[in-house]
Amino acid sequence: MIPGPDLSVDHPLVLLLLVLGLLPLVASPLRGTGVPALALAPADGLSMALSVGLKIAGLLAIYALVLGLAGLHLQAQSVARLGNGAHLMLLFDRSASMDNTFANRQPGQGEESKSAAAKRLLMDFLAHRPRDRIGVAAFSTSPMPVLPLTDHHDAVAAAVAAIDRPGLALTDVGRGLALALEAFDTDNDTATAGGAVLLVSDGAALIDPRVQAALRDGLKRRPVRLYWLFLRTAGARGIFDKPEAPGDDIPQVMPERHLNIFLSSLGVPYRAFEAGSPQAVAQAIAEIDRQERAPMLYTERVARRDLDRLCYALAAAALALLTAAKWAERQLDARPPQVRTKQAESSPDVTRRAA
Amino acid sequence: MTKARWTMARWTLPHRPDARAVVLAMAFVLAIAAILAPRLQSRNEAYRLLAIVDVTGSMNVRDYDHGGRPLSRLEAAKSALRTLAAQLPCGSQLGLGIFTERRSFLLFEPIDTCADFAPLDGAISALDWRMAWEGDSYVAQGLYSAVNLAAGLNADLIFLTDGQEAPPLPRSGIPPFTGEMGKVRGLIVGVGGATPVPIPRFDTFGREVGFYGPTDVPQENRSGPPPEGAEAREGWHPRNAPWGAELSGGEEHMSAVRTEHLEALAARPGLSYAALTSTPLEGAVAAAARPRPVPGHRDTAPVPAALALLLLVGLYAAPLIRSVRYKRIATP
Repeated sequence: MIPGPDLSVDHPLVLLLLVLGLLPLVASPLRGTGVPALALAPADGLSMALSVGLKIAGLLAIYALVLGLAGLHLQAQSVARLGNGAHLMLLFDRSASMDNTFANRQPGQGEESKSAAAKRLLMDFLAHRPRDRIGVAAFSTSPMPVLPLTDHHDAVAAAVAAIDRPGLALTDVGRGLALALEAFDTDNDTATAGGAVLLVSDGAALIDPRVQAALRDGLKRRPVRLYWLFLRTAGARGIFDKPEAPGDDIPQVMPERHLNIFLSSLGVPYRAFEAGSPQAVAQAIAEIDRQERAPMLYTERVARRDLDRLCYALAAAALALLTAAKWAERQLDARPPQVRTKQAESSPDVTRRAA
Repeated sequence: MTKARWTMARWTLPHRPDARAVVLAMAFVLAIAAILAPRLQSRNEAYRLLAIVDVTGSMNVRDYDHGGRPLSRLEAAKSALRTLAAQLPCGSQLGLGIFTERRSFLLFEPIDTCADFAPLDGAISALDWRMAWEGDSYVAQGLYSAVNLAAGLNADLIFLTDGQEAPPLPRSGIPPFTGEMGKVRGLIVGVGGATPVPIPRFDTFGREVGFYGPTDVPQENRSGPPPEGAEAREGWHPRNAPWGAELSGGEEHMSAVRTEHLEALAARPGLSYAALTSTPLEGAVAAAARPRPVPGHRDTAPVPAALALLLLVGLYAAPLIRSVRYKRIATP
């Protein structure tokens, strides 16, 4: 019963009343006039046209009122447009150390934890990138898909808002990355555009060789750009630290350095940002904001448009026509109406509508 | 000539409009009123909810039935949540979290179930037992932490679990709830069948490798004082073997929904309890959660429009009904 692909109604059952539209085809609000024989009236093109026109007006009035009552509207649609933006997968470290400040303390008065700083700055980032499609994943001891790639930024904001909650124990960054890549695989919209993964963490860990192989394999199939925003705690090892002793240059001792080496060996565009303060995080995010501006198809949602007022206007126009016809109605005979009516009622078979 | 005079006379005569003309004019005025009718501000009722889903091992038990195929408890819980998200009145919000070990973990804060339905639906369907970070399942602790989470979010709670405590509760029973009772409303949804069934077991790579046996899981919680009558156990020694020397037997490797435990647990923070069956959760949620007013608007246009339609239909139907009646009388 839905009239078109974009048109829809709120109350489909009301459409059953459309049957009432048949009434004007078999009845008329105009008076019948008794004439001895129909053949007395000559065939008249104008009268025929008027008769059909008034029937249509009646049908239209009823249809328009029923459609208006059913809540006819143009559905909310999404229109594909070309703009600057990115398909971005945010990958958050939710390990417990993210709850400390950059100075590795419990946040005190006026201090903010690493996760709270990341949350605040990412919220700003989201606010001025309305066209991005963003997904969220988290990892700690295990990887967790949080939100699929979506252009609903309210939902993304709700997921980013949850990252400063108390975290879990460990940092399994490898499986987290694999999960973020998988999000692009399961999404069918990014086939043409490249994607990017933004890893936000304050530490790194060993990546299982099997997971390493899976990551290399996955990135071969679907190259994405990688960003690692490393929130460096004071006194902790950095990404770019040089080993002090030759024996220290192993992933077990310097996981951050080796994760950086691993990520840059993947053969995809990759940048690491080491941020030791909220200001540095802001700079890194601004840089990512600049980098991730490629032309891409994005969908813009067009809100639903109610058409009920239009329906009522149409009904009003049809009713105006009917009213005008009715008020202009004149009887052929000059007899008083009550007499005529009686006669018309007693012989309904021979009545003929004046129009 | 006479005809023309007659016409002129009729035109100039003031004539009373007939009733049907008045009805038509009224319908026209009502249609105009429908165009101009205001949209009034009103208050609708909606919910702000936080759904916490148990993703521990016992939720992999396939004791639900979906069109003749076995369905795991986790899948049944997910499908119930997705249905709920679709049925909640617009303006409602639903957040999502998972529970394992001894705490609940928030994935995202409540989001609109209508405007953000697509990502919400996607996120619920992405829930997986692999998200669990520990094998333990301290349901009571998880529930209390979920209540705290919900309180912080000013939301009502839906906690979906089968109530299988692993390890089993100590002899002291359910740990005390220290928060404010009744501050968070909501319900525990008991997931699972009543018949104990074995729990599937997975290896490191997530492949299913059979079921847990009686010796694979702790059958008894041995923290705290031993139970009464432990002296009678085989090999009991007050210092070296206060629980006896034998492995205690039990049914902890089998899983069924622990209705009694969950009902007792729900009473602690003042939640209600509902079992997950084929009936949608919406009714239980509406009974347990606090409805919150959300601004909405009510359109007044249908009132004059319906009246106009009524008049118009009456106008067309009246002569038909009359003619039918007369015909019936006229027929011998």
